[in-house]
Amino acid sequence: MPRIVREAEATWEGSVARGSGTLSAASSGAFVSLPVTLASRVADPEGRTSPEELLAAAHAGCFITSLGSELARAGMAPASMTARCTITMDEVEGQGHQIVASAVVATASVEAAEDDAFDSAVAAADAGCPFSSLLRRAGADVSVKATREGGT
Amino acid sequence: MATDRTAEVTWSGSLLEGSGTIDRVGSGAFGPLAVSWPARAEDQGDKTSPEELIAAAWASCYSMALSHGLAGEGHAPERLSTSVTVSFQPGTGITRGAITVRGSVPGLDEAGFQAAAEAAKSGCPVSKALAGVPEVTLDAALG
Repeated sequence: MPRIVREAEATWEGSVARGSGTLSAASSGAFVSLPVTLASRVADPEGRTSPEELLAAAHAGCFITSLGSELARAGMAPASMTARCTITMDEVEGQGHQIVASAVVATASVEAAEDDAFDSAVAAADAGCPFSSLLRRAGADVSVKATREGGT
Repeated sequence: MATDRTAEVTWSGSLLEGSGTIDRVGSGAFGPLAVSWPARAEDQGDKTSPEELIAAAWASCYSMALSHGLAGEGHAPERLSTSVTVSFQPGTGITRGAITVRGSVPGLDEAGFQAAAEAAKSGCPVSKALAGVPEVTLDAALG
C-alpha cells in the first residue's frame, strides 16, 4: 500500500503569551483557520482548540478504527462504537511541558460476544493503534478501556 | 498545572465501508467532522483523519514553541507560517514528519532563526510525544 501523506498549516503572530495563531487542515480542508492561543492550551480554552485537543481527536479516531477492525476480525463486527479520549499535558521537572497521559474510554455495540474474546480484541486494538505505541514510547501513560453494549 | 483536552468520536459499520464522526471536542472549536478509512488510507476528499489532526497538532505546537524561543532571545516574531506533513504507512504507523516554517522576525539573521527553529523541533511537547517517528525533517528560513 502506498504511503499516505496528510498536511496541516499553522500561522502565529507575536509572542506566545500575547500573540495568537490559526490552524488549517491543508489536505482535506475539513477545518480552516481555527484560532489558537496559549490560553486555549494551558488555561480555559474559551472555544479555541489546542495541539493537545487535536491529539485527543487523533487518538480517539486511531483507536476506534483499530477497535472496529479487531472486533470484525474476531467475528464481533460492531454495529456502532464510541470513543472518548482525554490527553493530559503537564510540566515535568527538568523537561518542560510534556504529554503525560492519554486515556481512551470506548463502547462497542456488538451482538453475542464472550467477555474474554471482547477483551482480547480491545487489547489487540490498542496494540494495533500506531498512535498508542508512539505515546507509550514517549513515556506517556496510555490507558484504554472499552465496554460492550447490547447483545448477550 | 496539568491541562486535560478531550475529544469524542463515534463509528458505525465496518472499517472499510463504515464511517465515523468526531462528534465534539472539549473546546467546541470544531465538529462534527467526518472520518472514514478511505479518507485515511486512500483519497481523503474533504474528510480529515487522525494523521491530519496530528499534523495540525504538530504545526500549532511547533509554532508556539518557536515563538517562545525567539521571544526569549529578544526577537518575538511578527509572523510564523508552519506547515507539517505526516506520512502514514498502514500496518506500520507514522513513518515521517516534515516541518516547513517561514518566519518574519525583525532584527534576527538567518543563522539565528535556524538555531531557534532547530531547538523548537525537539522542544515542543508534540515533538516529544512523537519522538518515536523514524524521520523528522525541518526546512526553516526567514521570509
